[in-house]
Amino acid sequence: MAVNTKKWLKVRIVSGLIIFLVLFIALLSRAFQLQVLSGQKLKTLAQKQHMTTLQLHPERGIIYDRNGEKLAASVMADSVCADPSKITDPVRASQQISSMLNLDRNLVYKKLSEPKSFCWLARRISPDQAASVENANIEGIILVKEPKRFYPNGELAAHVLGFVGADANGLEGVEYKYDDSLKGKPEKLTWARDAKGKKLFLRVEKNETKKDENVNIVLTIDSRIQYLVETHLKEAVSSKGAKGGLAIVMDPKTGEILALANEGRFNPNNISGVLPERWRNRAITDYFDPGSTFKPFLVAGALEEKIIKESDKFFCENGNYKVANRVIHEANKKRHGVLAVPDILKYSSNIGAAKIAQKMGKEKFHDYIERFGFGAKTGIDLPGESAGLVRPVKNWVPVDTAMIGFGQGVSVTAIQLIAAVSAIANNGVLMKPYIVRGFADKDNRLIKLYTPTVVRKVISPDVAKRLTNMLTEVVGAVDGTGKNARIVNVAVAGKTGTSQKFDFVRGIYSSEKVRTSFMGFFPAADPQVAILVILDEPQRDKWGGVAAAPVFKNISEQILNCFKTSIRETPVFDGPKATKVQLVSAQQTLDAENAATDDESTMPDFLGLTIREAMKKAKARSIDLKISGSGWVARQYPQAGRPLGEERICSVKFELSN
Amino acid sequence: MIFLKFDRRIFQNFDWTLLALVLGICTVGIINIYSAGYSIGDRPFPLYLKQIQWVFLGMAFMMLIYFIDYRVINEAAYIIYGISIALLVVVFLYGYTTRGSQRWISILGFSFQPAELMKLTVIMALARYFDDYKSNEPYNLKELLIPFLIVILPFLLILKQPDLGTALIIVAVSASIIVFIGVNWKSLAIVGAGALILMPIGWRFLKAYQKERLMTFLNPDNDPLGTGYHIIQSMIAVGSGGIIGKGFLSGSQTQLKFLPEQQTDFVFSVFAEEWGFIGAFVLIIMFMCLIFWGLKIALHSRDLLGTLLSFGITALISWEVFINIGMVLGIVPVVGIPLPFLSYGGSAMIVLMAMIGLLMNVSVRRFILQR
Repeated sequence: MAVNTKKWLKVRIVSGLIIFLVLFIALLSRAFQLQVLSGQKLKTLAQKQHMTTLQLHPERGIIYDRNGEKLAASVMADSVCADPSKITDPVRASQQISSMLNLDRNLVYKKLSEPKSFCWLARRISPDQAASVENANIEGIILVKEPKRFYPNGELAAHVLGFVGADANGLEGVEYKYDDSLKGKPEKLTWARDAKGKKLFLRVEKNETKKDENVNIVLTIDSRIQYLVETHLKEAVSSKGAKGGLAIVMDPKTGEILALANEGRFNPNNISGVLPERWRNRAITDYFDPGSTFKPFLVAGALEEKIIKESDKFFCENGNYKVANRVIHEANKKRHGVLAVPDILKYSSNIGAAKIAQKMGKEKFHDYIERFGFGAKTGIDLPGESAGLVRPVKNWVPVDTAMIGFGQGVSVTAIQLIAAVSAIANNGVLMKPYIVRGFADKDNRLIKLYTPTVVRKVISPDVAKRLTNMLTEVVGAVDGTGKNARIVNVAVAGKTGTSQKFDFVRGIYSSEKVRTSFMGFFPAADPQVAILVILDEPQRDKWGGVAAAPVFKNISEQILNCFKTSIRETPVFDGPKATKVQLVSAQQTLDAENAATDDESTMPDFLGLTIREAMKKAKARSIDLKISGSGWVARQYPQAGRPLGEERICSVKFELSN
Repeated sequence: MIFLKFDRRIFQNFDWTLLALVLGICTVGIINIYSAGYSIGDRPFPLYLKQIQWVFLGMAFMMLIYFIDYRVINEAAYIIYGISIALLVVVFLYGYTTRGSQRWISILGFSFQPAELMKLTVIMALARYFDDYKSNEPYNLKELLIPFLIVILPFLLILKQPDLGTALIIVAVSASIIVFIGVNWKSLAIVGAGALILMPIGWRFLKAYQKERLMTFLNPDNDPLGTGYHIIQSMIAVGSGGIIGKGFLSGSQTQLKFLPEQQTDFVFSVFAEEWGFIGAFVLIIMFMCLIFWGLKIALHSRDLLGTLLSFGITALISWEVFINIGMVLGIVPVVGIPLPFLSYGGSAMIVLMAMIGLLMNVSVRRFILQR
């Protein structure tokens, strides 16, 4: 090709252009790959390089019971750390330190001779040990104050409270569930640092310094009830030779958990060596076949659907009822003839319950099981709740319907069971159980109060009442299965239950290993307390009415003794009044019926509110407030619940607590 | 005489597009150097101000070269080449050393890098040679002997400094010009084979750090705090810029000095971190426009000399941009090549501006010269 022709030139130049174009497109693609495709990854990498963060947590919040009793608090304790680079004689230093703190000398020596500038030697030591370390005054050994979690009552309510780890993070229970609230937002200092690791205060990118974001927590637990529940449960477990046990006390009208105890206790002050199965809160994590305690829910549904009425009679087949290829027996090989509906509950007839279930039909029965809250988490504010197991109705074979009628072949948690029986006590309204009543700030002013939550109306108040009457007979009748729970002068409604544990080895329900339980509430006319007691594998008195019912009775009697009036009021106790936390009285019960029409016509309850809160509440009902004093409402006139007249005026007196 | 004959067409047909492109890229460069030096603290005379000074000084050279017909300049091509070689020899004998390389000489109190000048003079010398010995046939080995000598002399002198980057760039641009003008395929094959044979021998002559750099390019994670540090830090900075970048003066990797050489060879990573992919895209497109424009000038030149000069200059800029950005992005080994118009440096800026002046020179004279 001739040089210097136009065509020659054009070909060459265009080829050159194409080559450079390709190279530059390669650059663009690479930039796209780095910046767009893996930009985020490299960004984090960059951030790791140049940001250094120091988190300073405020002192962890206190946990109170509903009366202001401290259940968990933080005390400052000394921790020992070291700067090995400053230690001149690690042999001598490790010898001194290990003898003062009872540590392994070699381990301490190893830590002290590492080329680092920081290591922990011991966390949260006793004041005596701290004093001796301080006196020794070794160069490079440093004492720092760290908050240490302290549970003044030891094992009390340990399963509810949970515990914290070495760096004061909640690991179980309320400590875990409300970790963020208790811990508060850390005072987070973020520095940029340069390539040499030097902190650059000059160009601080973020500097969040929010203090006192953490709160104190007030539980629904009443530590006095908790204590007596734990005492009686422990006594029963040991006297009946049971493997374990649990008990829950609940306010049926609000869903507040007043006590929750697991036998098989642990001390949250010292959890080293405690196995997880010991600290697991079985009341909400474990599920089991409820046995006969399930029968009232079947009857409730059947009554509500008008499939049965009290006077209906069922032939109980003299103790042998063949369904499909299975033969259903009564407990303890009893033989019943014709029983009316209340008697089926009173004598706890399996065959009677099976027949009611069959009459009701599996779809409707399943529907009521779910309406009572089984098969779904209750939503209690504790970690690790399980939903139990209610099989889908399409998988039920005829024998399932019959057996689930007396509580076999369905799995429930204890918290579901107490919530469900509370629904019967609460005019048929299912409440969501809860454990945290509210938050208080550093000065123990209540800053947030959780109100009871209605889950749903399960049955009508009329059916609830009729069922309550039947359950009262179970306890009250001379020949009732729950007669061991009877309390003098108090109408107790209750139901026993014994479920055979499924033997996974043999693949059948075992008659040796049982779970015996009693659930009930009182007083029957206006239930204030619902209690569930379960004993796991008792060796003596296996059948529910005998082993678990007395525990229920003992707990109930003491509750009645301690709290002379109804315990739903602000608890009255003949002792020095705990005043740490100013509490408002329990919330108005939210009956599904009158929830909407309530309030408008009556004087609201101002007690315990701040001025701002009281005024807000008053304004909502156009009431004029006459305010005196400062702090929180201590008295009001007219009192809460009085009908509102023409003149909507209320005088409220505020006082400072403490 | 054409010399100093001020034709008004020189003003009428001034290549404003080229000037705008170059000044645009320079402005980006100055802003970027301002950011790169932002957190260094109080210097009596910050680098970005110095860079502005270099741009203006460079523009003076640009204008000077613009007004002298490139064919007149061509007459002096070998003389200028000789002076450049002489300066390199002076560097070799008397130059002062910074960071292990003997690259600078001091002229009138200014530090100057003759190697930068050499880039331009090699192009000029080659253009002169091929213009003198026009051939309708592809050049064979014998005819390429003198061009080979023209290239090898500065190559060895610069390699000795040591400045592998500049030495390679001179080879790359010379090779581009020679391939452009046309080589006998057989000759090309022989040269290629010779280069392959010489490579292992050349490897033995490389300095240990140069070998290390090449190895590092192949696997930067081998030694992240040592030789791989440059590449990894650079890629982190570029990548962390993301699509829209961290914003002017906000590139953490830049401002916190994780990036080495961030005002010179690695200046692109500062830019890419703060302006993101969008910024990088725009900048690369600007360079592409510049290259496109340079090649357009080469195409429309009235004579072979003009074509060769403008093609050579454009090729030089292209290779430098590609190798520099490629190195920052980790697709080319780390060799010390500055990014044209963006990296801080007086010698490079002045020589670049002179080259642009020469480009404009060729560009405008197609309106003046008659064929």
